[in-house]
Amino acid sequence: MGQQHLAGPVTVALVEDHQVVVDGVRSWFGPPTPVELVAQGPTIESVRGTAADVLLLDLNLNGTMVLDRVAELCAGGQRVIVFSEHEEPETVRAVLDAGASAFIGKGRATRESCVETILEVAADRPSVTPPMAQAIATDEGPHRPHLSDKERAALLYWFQSMSKASVAARMGIKERTVRQYIDRARVKYAAAGRPAPTKEKLLICAIEDGLLRPDEVTVYTSLAARTPAEPRD
Amino acid sequence: MTEEIEQIARRYARYTALGAVVIAAVWHLGYDLTVTLTGWSSFRWPFVAAAAWVLYSAIFVVGALSLSATSRGPERIRELVLATLAVDVAVIVACRPEELLGISDWGWGSIGWIGVMLTWGRPRWRAEITVFLAANAGIMLAAMAISGTFDRVSIAKYLVVIAGGVTMQLGYMAGCHLLRTRAEETVLLARRLAADDAWRESAQRIHTDRLRRYEAIRDVAESLLTQLANGADPGDPRVREDCTAGAMRLRRLITEREDVPDELVSVLRERIDAAERRQVLVTAPPFGDRLPDLPDGVREDLLRAPVRALDGARTRARVTVSAMSTMVSVAVVADNDDLPISPAPVHEASGVVVSYQRLGGEIWVNSIWQDR
Repeated sequence: MGQQHLAGPVTVALVEDHQVVVDGVRSWFGPPTPVELVAQGPTIESVRGTAADVLLLDLNLNGTMVLDRVAELCAGGQRVIVFSEHEEPETVRAVLDAGASAFIGKGRATRESCVETILEVAADRPSVTPPMAQAIATDEGPHRPHLSDKERAALLYWFQSMSKASVAARMGIKERTVRQYIDRARVKYAAAGRPAPTKEKLLICAIEDGLLRPDEVTVYTSLAARTPAEPRD
Repeated sequence: MTEEIEQIARRYARYTALGAVVIAAVWHLGYDLTVTLTGWSSFRWPFVAAAAWVLYSAIFVVGALSLSATSRGPERIRELVLATLAVDVAVIVACRPEELLGISDWGWGSIGWIGVMLTWGRPRWRAEITVFLAANAGIMLAAMAISGTFDRVSIAKYLVVIAGGVTMQLGYMAGCHLLRTRAEETVLLARRLAADDAWRESAQRIHTDRLRRYEAIRDVAESLLTQLANGADPGDPRVREDCTAGAMRLRRLITEREDVPDELVSVLRERIDAAERRQVLVTAPPFGDRLPDLPDGVREDLLRAPVRALDGARTRARVTVSAMSTMVSVAVVADNDDLPISPAPVHEASGVVVSYQRLGGEIWVNSIWQDR
């Protein structure tokens, strides 16, 4: 999947009800950035039917939270990145649990970080933004994944410090190792949550990349939460 | 105020309990001892009566100690009750049969007060004192039957003494119980009133805070819009920076929760406001509203270093709080050039660990508390 995108730009559909945000996000994309905005609208329905690698979704559309629509979108195999100011850990966890690939906090989003997240998600690679790092690190729910102390510390420091370089200096390790801790935590989190095609793609990629062993994947056990759609790849 | 009233309720419990002790003591010394000594010759076996008096005194001491310590009767009372009833029997036996209902037989009129002391404040005091007084009345009735003193005058005397004793003893207990219940109700009412006051005060604070935030929102928007209306160039980096700062502030002011915030969050918000007034661009993701209860001194230690970093920020700062049920971590990243930093983590006595890092013109101060 990742290789496929090297051929052309990553396509993005944006669901956002504020024109000023739409204009801002549009200005981030396009050459030389390898990301192209192919559709945009104020509701989920307005972009439905457009084939896009990634759907960038505002969580609050015309005053209504659309958190409950995320699972439905992901069940169809769509990669969803939620783009919202509701960065509370509970909301971020609910979004990730529903199968979203990433959560970008509007408060701190920059062109570089946003594009980086979109490219990682389009390639089904683990992507962890600061609000996600906090949400994963502070999860105390019954289905939380087992994170090592270092993975948890790397997530928390990443959320609270200035950069991954700074986390590396604090932990006395290489920046590459910090990334590995954070990415592993993200993949473990995906493996412990409800199944969704987008998460399974992430897991397959993580296993291919040697980030995780197959036996480290413990599948979520609640049958009630299982969606009827089976992954196609 | 609530504390005062609670103290009053405690005093009610204590002094009514001690009242029972004083009545029993006065009765035992004033009446029981007097009739034992003055009627010494009228007893069949005066030493048995004296021994009963001493045993009664011993049980009295046990009961009095318990009441003075806990305002309640002793934990285990079965043996003490049996010993008290034995005093009753011993005094009856010590008396001549014709003196059974005479003034020398002090036991059956007196042990009721020991019963009051032993059952005082126990969960099942009503049932216990009733059984005790019934046993006392039964013993006397049995003694009358055995000695054949069943004439009209004797039965009338018996009924008067039993009725008088039971009325006084049960009456005292019930009256004091009523007083205590009323005092406790008063305490509950006082607590409710205090809670209402606290809520009123909180509502007032929320209202004031809301007005302050609306005022701040208006200020931010107004000054920016005025600048733009007066021809400020949106392409000018300074104007754009002001707009970004204004937007950040608006977003925070709008998303701030309106319930009464945790003290730690309140302090941080106050310092963020102060920094913004100095034109520092502050970003702060929502702090969440589920911080664990912190032991004494932890909050101050968690806040001290990050707040210093924030207070000294030159142009920008980011404030974050992460919390779990057993962990709270507060961090500030800021372009603070003056804050002295410790190369090694600083361990505070409260268990808070503070780490410092300076990297690329920014300082990162992070204090973490973990409940071990």
